Amino acid sequence: MRGWMLAGLRRHPGPMVGTLAAAATAATLSIAAFGAAGAHSPSPLGRLAGASVVVAADPQLEVTVGTGHSATVQTAPLQAYRGVPARLAGQLGRVPGVAAATGETGLPGGTVRPGLADLIAVRADPGVSAGTLARRIKAALHGGAGYTIAAGAARAGLANLGLAVEIANGHALGDVVIPLLIITALFALAATTALSVDLRQRRFALLRAIGATRGQVRRAVLAEQALLAVAGGLLGYPAGAVAGALGVRALVAHGMLPAGSSAASSPWFAVLACVINLPVCVLSALLAARRAARTSPARAMRETHAERTQPHPVRVLLGLAAGTGLVVFSVLALHSSGPGAEAAMALPLLMAGMVAVALLGPVLVIAAAAVLRPLASTGPAARLALAGIGRLPRRTASAIVPIAMAVGMTGAIAFFNTSEAHAALAQSERAVTASYVVGGRGLDAKLLTQARDLPGVRAVVGITALEAAVTDPNLEFLGAEAVSAGQIGQVLDLGVAGGSLSGLKPGQIAISTLEASSGVMGTGVGATITVYLPDGTPYRATVTAIYHRSLALGDLLIPASVADGHTGAAAGYSQILISGGSQRELAALAADHPGTRLASRAVYNAQLAQDTGQNSFGDDIILGVIAALAAVTMINTLAVSTAERRRQVWLLSRIGATTRQLAGAFGWQALFITVVGLAAGVAVCAGTLTGLDRAVTGSAVPYIPAAPAALIITAVATLTFATIMTSFAAMSRHPAQ
Amino acid sequence: MTIPRRPDPEPPRKTVQAAEQLLNVKDQLAAAPVVLHAVSKRFGRGRGAVTALDGVSLSFPARSFTAVLGVSGSGKTTLLQCAAGLEKPSSGTVRLCGAELARVSDRQRAVLRRQRVGFVFQELNLVPELTVGENIALPLRLDRRRAAWAVIERAAARVGLHPGQLRRLPSELSGGQQQRAAIARALVITPEVIFADEPTGALDPYTAEGVMRLLRQSTGGTTVVVVTHQPEVTRFCDRAVFLYAGRVDAIIDAPEPAAVAARLHALGERASSEHVNGGER
Repeated sequence: MRGWMLAGLRRHPGPMVGTLAAAATAATLSIAAFGAAGAHSPSPLGRLAGASVVVAADPQLEVTVGTGHSATVQTAPLQAYRGVPARLAGQLGRVPGVAAATGETGLPGGTVRPGLADLIAVRADPGVSAGTLARRIKAALHGGAGYTIAAGAARAGLANLGLAVEIANGHALGDVVIPLLIITALFALAATTALSVDLRQRRFALLRAIGATRGQVRRAVLAEQALLAVAGGLLGYPAGAVAGALGVRALVAHGMLPAGSSAASSPWFAVLACVINLPVCVLSALLAARRAARTSPARAMRETHAERTQPHPVRVLLGLAAGTGLVVFSVLALHSSGPGAEAAMALPLLMAGMVAVALLGPVLVIAAAAVLRPLASTGPAARLALAGIGRLPRRTASAIVPIAMAVGMTGAIAFFNTSEAHAALAQSERAVTASYVVGGRGLDAKLLTQARDLPGVRAVVGITALEAAVTDPNLEFLGAEAVSAGQIGQVLDLGVAGGSLSGLKPGQIAISTLEASSGVMGTGVGATITVYLPDGTPYRATVTAIYHRSLALGDLLIPASVADGHTGAAAGYSQILISGGSQRELAALAADHPGTRLASRAVYNAQLAQDTGQNSFGDDIILGVIAALAAVTMINTLAVSTAERRRQVWLLSRIGATTRQLAGAFGWQALFITVVGLAAGVAVCAGTLTGLDRAVTGSAVPYIPAAPAALIITAVATLTFATIMTSFAAMSRHPAQ
Repeated sequence: MTIPRRPDPEPPRKTVQAAEQLLNVKDQLAAAPVVLHAVSKRFGRGRGAVTALDGVSLSFPARSFTAVLGVSGSGKTTLLQCAAGLEKPSSGTVRLCGAELARVSDRQRAVLRRQRVGFVFQELNLVPELTVGENIALPLRLDRRRAAWAVIERAAARVGLHPGQLRRLPSELSGGQQQRAAIARALVITPEVIFADEPTGALDPYTAEGVMRLLRQSTGGTTVVVVTHQPEVTRFCDRAVFLYAGRVDAIIDAPEPAAVAARLHALGERASSEHVNGGER
């Protein structure tokens, strides 16, 4: 029977098109992700070709967090390569089987600190294999902790030491993007699968009436969904390969992969995509299949059918539980802070909201239909539309869920970024009190001194952005700023809440109130904390100040002299902040140093506003893919559910409904779906943003610019109306089919 | 409770075999294949509840051809659904092919339907994505039996469908041809009982007569229960059962269409006078 059911897919694919398209889209994304994750980067051995074994520093920072039984070892990719002691070459030279051990410097991405080499290239004695030598070196280094020991082809990975950081950044992006995409694909598939099964309830009833058992119906639906999952996986392969190549190109352009990298490609990716699709499709079909199998065989005798108007109590209870989850996660986020909270809370918040909307969708439809009932008096079109909506709440909800998903997810991501950027800009405008800002290349200590010596200059401070790791309580890298010695208070007003910023010396550190608060680092002025510089060097310092305005300049202020040599770049500053002095003389000084440029505070802030207004590349990818996936799901669901009303259109047109009246009814339906979908999406978005914004910006009120908000609403409304009305137009041309 | 053995020489099905071990069937074989005893069916709860069947006791003897008639809302379709095991009665017992339906599992009811019961509905009888041949063979395939093309052709031939039509989709056939295919599907398992719900309701009188004649001729030895509101249908029937307000109002043997029409008219008048307008039950 299953074989014949599957043959039916070929002859009457209508209701299954949505599932197939969703499965193909999910596969496209998976295959693109595989292609990007396995990207090949050109790494010629170069100078390391003659070395049998290469010993370099471990690119991971490893820290034991907690004490006693709760102690765990956590790792994070280092932001700068730390190098190995040059004297290690001598030590390795004494290992049996070593012909020569040489400290290499000047490799791409290598260290700049004196006394350190980038790596040690070891040449083996004749007759000693590279593997044997690597094992001996590992033993000589007491297990090799803190080192990467590479032999054979693995040596190529160390020829460019900046690669590890770039790859780690790419992986960090993947860690965020891939789960989001998979979960979004799951929602998309679940919505289309449920709809495709719902639309065939009467068919299943007929099969049950003539003797199909529940198990047979269930297995037929599952087999059908499994086939669609596999077909979708195969269909998604070509598009996935292209998307993977484009993704790698974009990652290269944004410095997240080395130049010349190319996406991995293998037909096995199609198999993997099928393997990922299968459980998603089959799991989402399980519920629908169960419902299909429970179809009363007596329904086969009924010409018309109104689905159960009261949603199942279990569904409502689960939906309320998910809604409660959204509230609980929001409250938790309100009481936590810092980027760590963002990462920890973002996904649970969004997912709880989406699950709540998916489960409570029919309840929303019933409630909205009741509220809008007075509109029925405006004419037969509205009455028809509202009657259809009220009698088929589950089917209407299946069209609303993808809209809520699109609005909820894209809104949460887009407006979290705008809120963060807006808050950062607002803080920056108040934080930078310097009269002038010098930017560009080559901002060194000499320029700093020259500026300080100009007449009228009251204070000069150089700053450099870097990333430093803390345990808050989990190990993570935070945005930080290295500041030169000087009167910081004359050029920056960071909203000091405790202690003083006047003259940050080695052994001291300033920290933001968000990071210092309890539940994060839980520290205060006078306390001693350990932070890890970009190359992993621990810096133990006393907290001398706690400040509010951290979004503009980061959560930590570290003396520049401490950070020098640990950032992976030559000593110097990214900006020099100057208070006092004349513009003419400062401009002349900048002109003497090619590559530098002088800006007044007003110009600097305007430039900052422009820069912060641009989303990060990673967020752009997430936004784009989710919007595309949501759009595909939305169009599928709306088109399929509208096309299934062909018989109704035929009947109404037979009994005298004009095309205008029918179009009006479909228009009202589109309006209802758009409004309720938008409302549900806005609720999810608001629930997510309130908690997240409070955690990261300190304000629970998100900043929502009119233009992107209008863009999302217009896009959703246009897609919904276009899909429903196009489907209607198609069926009204051939109503009797 | 399990299902008694089918009284024909066909090899028993595995599921039926297992079921038979638990059932004492010796007195059942001679009984009527469809027996309803004090069957009531209510839809809804509280003040909005509707009683579709009210203590109906009725039996359909072996090889009989019975029409169930009544005005709209009299409970005809509900009677058929309860008798065929498609709906569970609120009270009372239904015995189908020797099995007391309340005491067999949902799966056993499904197996019983596909092995021993045929169905013909008013319309939307066939699975639209399967060919006519596949639709006819469906009960056999559901039962994991081999559906030889010759068997399907023979069943189709009995209802006047030629082999070329078997490879078409239902949408490519006329309404009458689709009903013929549905009858062929019901016949392919050589059922003990065929339930037909308004099988001619959507057909013109000429085609309807052809379908009924076919049903009568091709179902020799099978008990047939036809729900209808068309007096002409009773011309092919041994017996007519009239329902009114969920109860058996009258039973006429060897009914004449004119007499049936008169009785239906009287029932309609009575319903109008009592303001019984409950919709189709």
